[in-house]
Amino acid sequence: MVTLMVWGLLAWSVTDVREALAVERAEAEETARLLAKLIRAGRLVIDQNQAVIDDPHKGDKGFTPDVFEQQLIEEFRKETTIDLRTLAAAPSSILIPPLAKELLPAFVLASKEVVRDAQVVINQRGIGYKNFIPATYGSQAARRFTSQSRVRLKQTTLQPRNPKNEPDEYETSVLKWLSGRPKAEAYVSELTEEGQTLRVVMPIYYAKDCLKCHGEPKGELDISGYPKEGAHEGDLAGAITVIVPLKAGSR
Amino acid sequence: MGHDDRDSVLTVNRWNPGAGGLSAAPRWALLCVALAGLSLQGCGLVYDALQYVAPVATDELDAICRRQRVQVGMAVEPFRPFVFPAIWTDEGSRVTGLDVELVRHIVDALSQQCGRPVTPVLRLVRFRDLFLHLSEGKLDLFVSAVPSNVPARAWAGFAYSIPYFQHGGLSGITRQPDVAERIRQRFQPPSEASPGMTAGEQVLAGLTVAVQDGTASQHYAVANLKDSRMVLCDSLPAAFESAETSADPGIDVILGARPVLEYMVTRVKKDWQLLARADGKSFFLTRAQYAVVMSEESYRLRWFVNTVIFKLDESGQLERMRARWLDEPYAFPRRAAVEGLPFDVEKMVSQYSQGECRAGRAR
Repeated sequence: MVTLMVWGLLAWSVTDVREALAVERAEAEETARLLAKLIRAGRLVIDQNQAVIDDPHKGDKGFTPDVFEQQLIEEFRKETTIDLRTLAAAPSSILIPPLAKELLPAFVLASKEVVRDAQVVINQRGIGYKNFIPATYGSQAARRFTSQSRVRLKQTTLQPRNPKNEPDEYETSVLKWLSGRPKAEAYVSELTEEGQTLRVVMPIYYAKDCLKCHGEPKGELDISGYPKEGAHEGDLAGAITVIVPLKAGSR
Repeated sequence: MGHDDRDSVLTVNRWNPGAGGLSAAPRWALLCVALAGLSLQGCGLVYDALQYVAPVATDELDAICRRQRVQVGMAVEPFRPFVFPAIWTDEGSRVTGLDVELVRHIVDALSQQCGRPVTPVLRLVRFRDLFLHLSEGKLDLFVSAVPSNVPARAWAGFAYSIPYFQHGGLSGITRQPDVAERIRQRFQPPSEASPGMTAGEQVLAGLTVAVQDGTASQHYAVANLKDSRMVLCDSLPAAFESAETSADPGIDVILGARPVLEYMVTRVKKDWQLLARADGKSFFLTRAQYAVVMSEESYRLRWFVNTVIFKLDESGQLERMRARWLDEPYAFPRRAAVEGLPFDVEKMVSQYSQGECRAGRAR
């Protein structure tokens, strides 16, 4: 009888741990997915304002951190239906995990800091191309966010222009796998580091606007001095990777 | 030097302890000197007497080592390829160019001299304000394709290093083929009948000439071009904009630093052309060599910078830098990302505007 009870308790606690792990993983995965979508929305906002940013005839572009924030929130809402303005009041759920409620505003803040610091470059009159583009915004925003949080965020690609965006072994294998598949809204999610971290890799695909710098003819130098990759619309451009540490996994 | 850079004369020489710091000096000697000092007040010997026991340790080089930062001024207006416009990179805002590369060499040498890393603090300010900032002690030095041989009051009272760029000089560009042709006809090379070159004032007489405020071109125009109409612009981009968009005052010629103008017409403003002589040779109003500008009293720093430039010259590095920035094909954003320097955003003008042009007085 006693043995049965011990086994029962053991089974119950194992089930409990498994459930906790599953919930934690689901929450971490959703948070990572939302973060990746948020940085993607930020990149889109920069892309939509590129003509204003590069206007040589205008001094003050009016593209302030607050303007950026409003547009970022709107793009993110369109993409996810989550309104970051009311996030704090929204009840926590598997769709908006507590970790996401903490980290999404932190990323918005890091992004605003990047736009704030770039004001001095953006608002130069008489200068056209300023290299404030989706990629350079994304690199800085990801780096700032990562330095202020326990979650690591990074943009990466198989042929990085910035050595700091070089993919690690895991990212390389996922990028190679993704590059052989057609464009899709899918993402890769996996437990890594012996279950201590969860990694989400969300692909980014080349849009038409990207091809001015990354398209044909391959090898020709683009406006910023890098050789064009010869890419086509819809090709895999790279990925946003998010690494979330798991508490349960590190027990 | 700034006020914060000046320590008391009794400061111990931390970088040269063998030279005799306070701790090494016998206390009785110091007392004697102090007593002697009281009796010698006003005769200027106190300073010398104190130096004998505890040599003055704080000069501008020591101050840089102590704070591990060197304050470098640069023009916020682009002087390509010496200073390119500030640009955003993966690492944040950066500035690059030949002058920035020179600053890197100076900073590397400073780090070696100080025995610990020295960081450059780049301050981008209007060219015309660089001299003011240096005299107010806000800068240790500045560099922005500054000619060392401009006879102008505003540029007096400062010290210029040995040249790091030998091929400077004043020249002009135009967008109007008829103006280019008129100047070509006027600018006759020396001949037996007329052994000297035609003077710049004759060549440019009757033309509207744009110059940048506070630069060598303005000083030249004020001193020499009495028969030209002068248009004063806040920057070279402003001169281009004014010449390309407005008819009044119509700008015939933009005067400026020859290597800067050459870079612009060959890579950026290809519908403009450099002025030439009748024999097809380059048009120069005067020659110039570019130097690093420092405070007149910063003797040790000047020796130091001169030595750095001399070594760069001797090793062929200066020539490689020149070829790299003036001859090679490249896109500056990439160089900014790889080797550009960050600048002090807080100290930069809140919003850089290329400014505008207005009618000036030639004389």
